[in-house]
Amino acid sequence: MSTTWLPCGVYHQDYKHDQGWWQTKFIKTKMILLFVVLFIVIPVFADSYSLSVCNQIGYTILGALGVQLLIGFCGQITLGHAAFLAVGAYTSTLLILDFPWPKFMMDFGIAYPISILIAAFAAGLWSVLFGLPCARVKGFYLILTTMAAQFITVDFLITGYVSQIGGRGQAFSLPPGTIKVGPWIIDSDIKVYFMMLVLVTGCVIMVANLIRSRIGRAWIAIRDNDISAEVMGINVIKYKFSAFFVAGFIGGIAGAFWISNLAAISPEHFPWFWSLWLVGVILIGGVGSIHGTIFGSIFMVVVMEVLQLTVMGFVDTSWGERLFTDFLFLKEAAFGLAICVFMIFEPKGLAYRWWQMKNYFNLWPFSY
Amino acid sequence: MDLFFMTVTTGIMVGGIYALVALGWVLIYKCSGVLNLAMGEMTLIGAYVSLSFYAMGIPFLLALFFSLIIGLILGVITERIFLDKLIGEPVLTVIMVTVGLSFFFKGIVELIWGTDTRVFSPPVFPIEPIHFGNIIIGRVYLWSFVAAMILLVIFVCFFKYTRWGLAMQATADDEMAALSLGVSARFVYAAAWAIAFMAAGVGGTLLGNINGLNISVGYLGLLVLPAVVLGGLNSVPGAIVGGIAIGILQNLCGAYLDKYFAGGVKEVAPFVFMVIFLLFKPHGLWGWERIERV
Repeated sequence: MSTTWLPCGVYHQDYKHDQGWWQTKFIKTKMILLFVVLFIVIPVFADSYSLSVCNQIGYTILGALGVQLLIGFCGQITLGHAAFLAVGAYTSTLLILDFPWPKFMMDFGIAYPISILIAAFAAGLWSVLFGLPCARVKGFYLILTTMAAQFITVDFLITGYVSQIGGRGQAFSLPPGTIKVGPWIIDSDIKVYFMMLVLVTGCVIMVANLIRSRIGRAWIAIRDNDISAEVMGINVIKYKFSAFFVAGFIGGIAGAFWISNLAAISPEHFPWFWSLWLVGVILIGGVGSIHGTIFGSIFMVVVMEVLQLTVMGFVDTSWGERLFTDFLFLKEAAFGLAICVFMIFEPKGLAYRWWQMKNYFNLWPFSY
Repeated sequence: MDLFFMTVTTGIMVGGIYALVALGWVLIYKCSGVLNLAMGEMTLIGAYVSLSFYAMGIPFLLALFFSLIIGLILGVITERIFLDKLIGEPVLTVIMVTVGLSFFFKGIVELIWGTDTRVFSPPVFPIEPIHFGNIIIGRVYLWSFVAAMILLVIFVCFFKYTRWGLAMQATADDEMAALSLGVSARFVYAAAWAIAFMAAGVGGTLLGNINGLNISVGYLGLLVLPAVVLGGLNSVPGAIVGGIAIGILQNLCGAYLDKYFAGGVKEVAPFVFMVIFLLFKPHGLWGWERIERV
């Protein structure tokens, strides 16, 4: 699912053009329109509820990008990514709350951006720590070690030790006004939305460019066949570790970003369910495609919101009320069923349909 | 020293239950190559079904028997609807389908039975413990162990001496050869899932008798993974030894390390052990080492 065919009559005359992101005028217009919609139309016209849904989508994209990189591009299956999100979120929170920042840094609002960066590095290194077994094991065994990462990090270390720092009890609450980027205090959905847009755009561009560099090609070679990759002179272990680092790095950014949307963070925000949710998102969106990550995130979040609204519509009936109070369970069941159905009937994900659609219009009317 | 012996005995008893569930897991893997992460939810379903029957006033053994039958039906249905279409798909696809199944089952169980802890009332096994010299063991543990062992023996005999069991062994050994000799692979897959569902149901019922039944019994399904990794993924004796070893390890850690850590050691210890074990002996004690070629 790599190349999209260009319409008739588009020729490349130099390599720069050939490697460009936006190759035709139509694509350029389309992308600029997309950015206009994202940066201007949605913030102006959307109400607070749809903005919060957008923020959730953005958070899911950020979290799932790392999973996509590991599973879709490097072939290292991970079922414990929420652990790295948790490391990022907790590092950032602890830095903001307990680190003695100089006064001017607090005033100018660079403390939070710096803490995001540090959190990203911490999560990356933590991810490499649990990626160490990938030097020796792969496939199912690697799944087990990443699962262990989830239980050891979230259920043991964070619940038992990190949450006790400062005697705050189970949840760390962030007082309003502590999260400040530059002159803006991040306290409303619209500010979170803009921060999310900047981070998502940055991370997507970073990953997309990494994928078409030497590093990305090495990852893809490892995914396709790690033995032949090694024979061809790729340092498999080094590139596997680097994949774990970048995935953890993005996960750390996602976690540190999400604390701006939460008044308090606790280990319950990073359950094992969330790790599997992220994997489900990329499977539904399409493995090995950055479009897929975005489509999957939008699909899952929107479907769950629609489900919730539907259940709310039936809240007057007795079973509807019960479903509404137990919505979390209904969500779990729906998520499970969605994964099963997609894996059986649409194993290539939504990105594949998108690709087919694009090719159909590009090649029309001569599709042969 | 008494504490040590007592923990080890309790560990062996609980480990017997783990071994039973691990056996079901290994069976599915051996016969159809599916790495099943829905084992915990299968134990939940079996346990809740037998608890519901028991709460209706049906005798315990009969309730267990009914839950076995329902497990069999559900196992065959699950295999036919979800897993049958995935033969030959990549590992990730199959694993994620079982993950999806696990969430589906879990959500359904939570919707039907809620999240409150339920107990078998009146208690199935007498409460007063048994004394062996200085060692005190709860009757529940002892009887659970006995039940698990009886079932293990029944299953092993089934594989060794019945026609269906031999067919399953043949498929596990070499699918192509078995197919060409007239063994129906589809039947074997369905049978493997049915047996795994039944074993899981019994394991869940026994565990529910020990501590009361709630969603956390499903955690057992994850504990099976360290057990099978220890024994080797495709080894039946390995599953039994692994299950018992994990039971002992868990109880020892609970007894000796709990005071040094902030809680939860009992839950995490098997996984820490598993990661370390994987680093040194990834194929387990008796698992097959696959030789890979380009």
